Amino acid sequence: MSATIPPTRTVLRSGEALEEIVRPAEGLVSRRIFTDPEVYELEQERIFAKAWFFLGHESEIAEEGDVVTRTCGIDPVVLVRDDEGIVRAFLNSCRHRGMRVCRTDRENTSFLRCPYHGWSYANNGKLLTAAAEEHYEDGELDKENLGLIPVAQLDTYQGLIFATWDPDAPPLRDFLGDMTYYIDLIVGRSGGVEIIGQPQIWDVDTAWKFATDNFTDNFHVFSAHHSLVELGMLPNDPDFAAHGHMIVAGNGHILHLTPGAPIEAYESYGLPMELRAKFAEHLTPDQVEMARKTAYSAGTVWPNFHWLQLMSSGTIGQPDVPFLNLRLEVPLSATRTRMWSWLAVDKDASPEFRKATYETYVRTFGPAGIYDQDDMENWEDCTRANLGPAAKRHSLHHKMGIGRPVDTSWPGPGTAYADSYGEMTQRSWYAAWLEHMTR
Amino acid sequence: MTAILPHTELHGRVVEFLNREAEMLDEYRFSDWLKTLSPDITYRMPVRTTQFLTDGKGFHDFALIDDDYATLETRVKRLETEFAWAETPPSRTRHFVTNVLVERLDDTTLEVRSCFMVTRTRADLEHQIFTGLKIDRLADDGERLLVLSRVIEVDQTAITNTNLSIFF
Repeated sequence: MSATIPPTRTVLRSGEALEEIVRPAEGLVSRRIFTDPEVYELEQERIFAKAWFFLGHESEIAEEGDVVTRTCGIDPVVLVRDDEGIVRAFLNSCRHRGMRVCRTDRENTSFLRCPYHGWSYANNGKLLTAAAEEHYEDGELDKENLGLIPVAQLDTYQGLIFATWDPDAPPLRDFLGDMTYYIDLIVGRSGGVEIIGQPQIWDVDTAWKFATDNFTDNFHVFSAHHSLVELGMLPNDPDFAAHGHMIVAGNGHILHLTPGAPIEAYESYGLPMELRAKFAEHLTPDQVEMARKTAYSAGTVWPNFHWLQLMSSGTIGQPDVPFLNLRLEVPLSATRTRMWSWLAVDKDASPEFRKATYETYVRTFGPAGIYDQDDMENWEDCTRANLGPAAKRHSLHHKMGIGRPVDTSWPGPGTAYADSYGEMTQRSWYAAWLEHMTR
Repeated sequence: MTAILPHTELHGRVVEFLNREAEMLDEYRFSDWLKTLSPDITYRMPVRTTQFLTDGKGFHDFALIDDDYATLETRVKRLETEFAWAETPPSRTRHFVTNVLVERLDDTTLEVRSCFMVTRTRADLEHQIFTGLKIDRLADDGERLLVLSRVIEVDQTAITNTNLSIFF
């Protein structure tokens, strides 16, 4: 251990300090943070008990009494629209013995009832009845204070529902900060989006951080998805996704805005003209121009929520169709991750576009997607090879673009870098990770 | 709908068809497998959720897989490149087919329900298991069977097996 690193709470059992083995400014990230249970234990308190997390979209609980089960951080929650229409989230756990009070993935109900002893809660979280109440002495059953445990804060932005377990976390708007400009650019472009159908859920033997690393990485596409280059479904040009901008938006939020082929079909995310025509009502002129130049965008809201605004095709020889994919990774252990994936569509989209975007998404992304399935293979293989003590002595390499100057002409907020090939977004994400882990 | 009983010639042809299909998939003869599918095929694995029995079996319009002939053909051609990493080098799969029930819908159409268990083994890893019910519509011209549609009712709500890079 270097003598210049002061001893802190972040010294691992190996004797290494996190500050020493994760050096984002130098592009060096220890393999240990993708494999060690000890690091994951620290993440549980320092990240998953504190950050703001995506729970779902308002359209998923459109009606009063709608309930879906989700996670906030790594704790199970029920996300409800109560009988008054208010969106709430509670730990999915009875106050008595802790059993889950909602045991389906979705339902519509005014009551959440624990099967174990029958404690029943209103969908606003209030405890209505406990078991054998007459057998408690006075004061032993304080029902007023035995409602379901609510998240500490819940708020929405552009229909996206976020919550945190930390009462001291900054308000959602402050946490999102400059990223709201770019969320507007994607989710708010035409007046709002809604979720189509249900989320796809699948588990991958990798650290949750690997997906984040991959979703802010344009230059993996040519190799990782080379099968599609071979089939003529991606350009046979290693630099085809190298253009546009990478933006570091603060608080760990990052994104890419990447142009497609220089034709109108690839402008404005490739959306149908009637949707593009709505942009000017909802975006600033700078944003409309930014959107016009963009075919592909991947964004990460710290720490584990992403959008993938992409164009692809599930059929050889057929034109690319755009889709908006929302993604979340929830760790199940240090090296196993539950992937959540939603398809969103502009509320004003036509039935024809809804069908086309659905088919394209399902065929190209998600667990069976001809793009996505190869990513999961890569993350699992990385994870297995990073497990051993010899591997952990060597950092992973994130140095691309360290010397690249900031593009000061960028009209939007945040720190922008020209070109979409580089690792500055990853480095800024790991810097945020380190800051949270060593606070 | 008329049940076709076991030990009839037709039932035997259906079981033989399903077993030959399983062998084709396990032996990576995907181009041959495509020839057993109708050009108009719909091939779906719907998303499943846990819900109360009174709310149904938990299947939805949204899918994990929703293919037609052209997209299945695209998947096969992708696997034939050297770069489809999820299956390069290939998994070993074993498609088990049981509980085959055959119903005649009309002179040329059958509905076939069968239970499947598919194991996938990659590299030196533990095998993964997929189970569920396949609901097929088969066209029968008296000699040859062809898959008109397939719904794969998978038992998992969360696919705990990395990805869905194999056929069912």
